[in-house]
Amino acid sequence: MERMVNVFSNGVFRRKGNTILFESDKGNRYLPVESVREIIVHGEVDFNKRFLEFLSEKEITMHYFNHYGYYMGTFYPREHYNSGFMTLKQAEFYLDPQKRLELAQAFVWGAAQNITKVLRYYSNRGKDVMGSLEQIERLAALVESTNKIPELMALEGNMRELYYQNFDVILTGSGFTFQKRSRRPPTNQLNALISFGNSLMYSIVLAEIYKTHLDPRIGYLHTTNDRRFSLHLDIAEIFKPIIVDRLIFTLISKRMITLKDFGRLEGGIVMSEKARKIFVEGFDERLRQVIRQRKIRRMVSYRRLIRMEVYKLEKHFLGDEPYEPFVAQW
Amino acid sequence: MFVILVYDAGVKRDPKILKTCRKYLNWIQNSVFEGELTEGKFKKLQHELRDIINAQEDYIVIYVLSSQRYNSRITLGKPKVEEGFIL
Repeated sequence: MERMVNVFSNGVFRRKGNTILFESDKGNRYLPVESVREIIVHGEVDFNKRFLEFLSEKEITMHYFNHYGYYMGTFYPREHYNSGFMTLKQAEFYLDPQKRLELAQAFVWGAAQNITKVLRYYSNRGKDVMGSLEQIERLAALVESTNKIPELMALEGNMRELYYQNFDVILTGSGFTFQKRSRRPPTNQLNALISFGNSLMYSIVLAEIYKTHLDPRIGYLHTTNDRRFSLHLDIAEIFKPIIVDRLIFTLISKRMITLKDFGRLEGGIVMSEKARKIFVEGFDERLRQVIRQRKIRRMVSYRRLIRMEVYKLEKHFLGDEPYEPFVAQW
Repeated sequence: MFVILVYDAGVKRDPKILKTCRKYLNWIQNSVFEGELTEGKFKKLQHELRDIINAQEDYIVIYVLSSQRYNSRITLGKPKVEEGFIL
């Protein structure tokens, strides 16, 4: 039952009594190390090397977000599951254009399936998204026939554009509008939410990859090597629609986050701290929510599903079982 | 599983138990902890505690609930620490 810890207040992290102590003006708070999977730091926090050593020992990743809620970096502790064989296999699947394409296609296909699940859900609730739903399905059918990664990425881009256009339909009457996808900085409130949600998603997937033998530096859809990590971006594609986007719709329709929760900054829009807290809370809840996994016939949390996705990839690399992306059943 | 742990021990062992429990569970108030654990972690905790206590004098009671879903938690007054994983 390991969880993510989100820190918004300013304070000091210490190793104390073999566990984590957080000292802030609100008082001292001990965190059970054994129940912490990752720490996400939003506020100003001090700590020393001793503390980082402790995190390494306990295999806890730490992610930093700056004052405006932008992802800044990760403390990725020393790899503890070393498997030269697995790294070799992972590289092999990257270097062989056909093998790489197949994996990239699987990610895009999985993402497309989950996108249609989300749209269908809202279509059942009387939102007029049927038209683009069919278009996205038609595009998804083309994924298999792509021959090159750039071609696949273009296709993915088209699907996502169609998908995002429906955000306006789903959110009519809420005051939130999508217009177009904008990042760095997001130019409207909805884009700010999407960006923040996606960054959280990446952090979580990265933390899950850390707990396996895979090397997050080798991605397939997202090209490897000119940035530190990319595999988590691939895997996150599959989960973004069902975790991040659904959460955004829920928070907006329940009016938990409103247009008032945003500020302006140098041509961009940033979320207020209050909105970020609400978002993170909802996100954590979503990750702990359990659904029935058909194959193993057991209840598993969304968080666990992400880990299982990484294991499926391991199996794929080892040649045990071809990778099939997770598709929501609801 | 969700567990509630209460203990009572001699002055010498009390802080040891406190520190051990802190690694796994959230401190609620003096000699009371609660939290969500996996079965493995729960076993580990029990082993650690067994090594500390004096079986003749100390007593630890752990209430194990399979989930929090069918329980309500009623509180009166002011909590000793802020709970939750958002700081």
